[in-house]
Amino acid sequence: MVELSTPTKWLMRTVVIGYVFFLVAWPVGLIVQRAFAEGVGEFLSIFSNEQVVRALSLTAQVALQAVAINLVFGVGMSLLLVRYRFPGKRILSALIDLPLSVSPVVVGLSLLLVYNGRTGWFGTWLEEHGVQIIFSGPGMIMATCFVALPLVIREVVPVLQEIGDEQEQAARSLGANARQVFWRITLPSIKWAVVYGVVLSLARSLGEFGAVKIVSGNYVNQTQTATLIVESQYQSFEQQSAYAVSFVLAFVSVLCIVVVSILRPKEGHAR
Amino acid sequence: MSIDVTGVTKKYGDFVALDNVSVTLPTGQLTALLGPSGGGKSTLLRIIAGLDTADSGSVHIEGRDATKLPPQKRNVGFVFQHYAAFKHMTVAKNVAFGLEIRKRPKQDVQAKVAELLDLVHLSQFAHRLPSQLSGGQRQRMALARALAVEPTVLLLDEPFGALDAKVRKELRDWLRRLHDEVHVTTIFVTHDQEEALEVADEIVVINDGRVEQVGSPDSLYDTPANDFVMGFLGDVTRLGGLMLRPHDIEIDVEPGRPGAVQGRITRVLRVGFEVRLSVETADDAEVKVELTRTHAQQLGLVEGGTVWLTPAVGATTVVATQPVPA
Repeated sequence: MVELSTPTKWLMRTVVIGYVFFLVAWPVGLIVQRAFAEGVGEFLSIFSNEQVVRALSLTAQVALQAVAINLVFGVGMSLLLVRYRFPGKRILSALIDLPLSVSPVVVGLSLLLVYNGRTGWFGTWLEEHGVQIIFSGPGMIMATCFVALPLVIREVVPVLQEIGDEQEQAARSLGANARQVFWRITLPSIKWAVVYGVVLSLARSLGEFGAVKIVSGNYVNQTQTATLIVESQYQSFEQQSAYAVSFVLAFVSVLCIVVVSILRPKEGHAR
Repeated sequence: MSIDVTGVTKKYGDFVALDNVSVTLPTGQLTALLGPSGGGKSTLLRIIAGLDTADSGSVHIEGRDATKLPPQKRNVGFVFQHYAAFKHMTVAKNVAFGLEIRKRPKQDVQAKVAELLDLVHLSQFAHRLPSQLSGGQRQRMALARALAVEPTVLLLDEPFGALDAKVRKELRDWLRRLHDEVHVTTIFVTHDQEEALEVADEIVVINDGRVEQVGSPDSLYDTPANDFVMGFLGDVTRLGGLMLRPHDIEIDVEPGRPGAVQGRITRVLRVGFEVRLSVETADDAEVKVELTRTHAQQLGLVEGGTVWLTPAVGATTVVATQPVPA
């Protein structure tokens, strides 16, 4: 550790705390304050609004399915990237980071191009076979998967690299087949990385706005998610319920992260 | 009945790790694969275990063709240099792993684990995690884990390489005693010639992807097949076109013996009971000679003195084919 003089220490602390306060704590705090400005009863009354309840439940459904898909593919892709050598591996690794750098709106538009039922490359064929992607559940799940894709992988890959494959080789020499090695050795070794990746994906999926807005069509009571209802209610001067839904979204995300930090063993112990 | 490796070749790109290696490793013995780092001995061990596959050639374990078998079907126990402990399992669970995979009844597993932990003196640590053990204890746990499945062969890859000198020596003695008790065919890889000479029944010297010589520790030491084996198993020096061990040179302060080579002592180094001399002769740059302190005192050897050197009667010698090592 670098030794700092007392005034420098206090200056740095003030800067850091000030930065976090003005950027994160104060704005989020204001949301809480506004959500409960007219009392708890008024806050709870939004749950009797059918439109809001539908939006919240749709968000939950889409987010959970997207997280489940990203969990399976994320762990699989991580194993592929760390444990196997194949041509095009670097390109795949770079592609996985793409959703972090591309704006979700662009993601939405690109999905629309491929899967829309009238002119999409693939969408017309699917439509003929009775599958509708755009303006319905599958499209929203796809968009959410896309934006949350790297989160599980980027948590799991470094842990897989760190533990190496000697434990897996030992398990195989002791008679375990590939499935047994995965469930008994690999998964327990990476479980905290997986849990963390899932929580980050869940938080990200609950909050997704741009990509979902484009592929969902934002139909009230059908494809309107919680983030979309926040926007529409805010614009139609129903700010109280916009704040209340915002609070619910923020609360669930914070809750996820708090639960994980309680469950996660302290650093230094085996993960 | 044994392990037969026939014509095994393994390449990593341009690098030839094993070049048409054929060797038979006898059942029930403790065999050392000895050689310098990067010589191919670990690769050979991993191919026997099925953790690597040979480009060509075959491996038979106890008469059964294992060339194409995956590791879990070969019934081998493998011990890694860095233990490969299952970090999230207790010591007892680690040892039980192979038995639980084989779906043995619970009481049998418990009894076997207790027996093995007793064998490796880890009974009181059964419920600890590997991270709470020392390196030597972890390696003993790894051995118990490998022995639990009653393997046809026990393979150890530089098993004591990551341990400090004292623990390494203890474990070496312990491995020898364990093998005398359990009698499982055991092959271990080492680059430490002392370890191989002390522990093994049989030594396979591997260098540059080829088998240089196979034999008992004594036969390798006494009749090395070539100057590489001679040089790898102990110190060597040259005297008149012969390679021999520094302690196999007779030293005199008077001429007289037939074929004696005259030289001048350039350096005297005393290490405990031993005296190491550097002697400059006319044709060889430097001859190393070792003798006991008592012997050196009797002869009154000092730097700058003139001496006559002769190979001792019965000395192990090899005709030098390579230039003097620097």
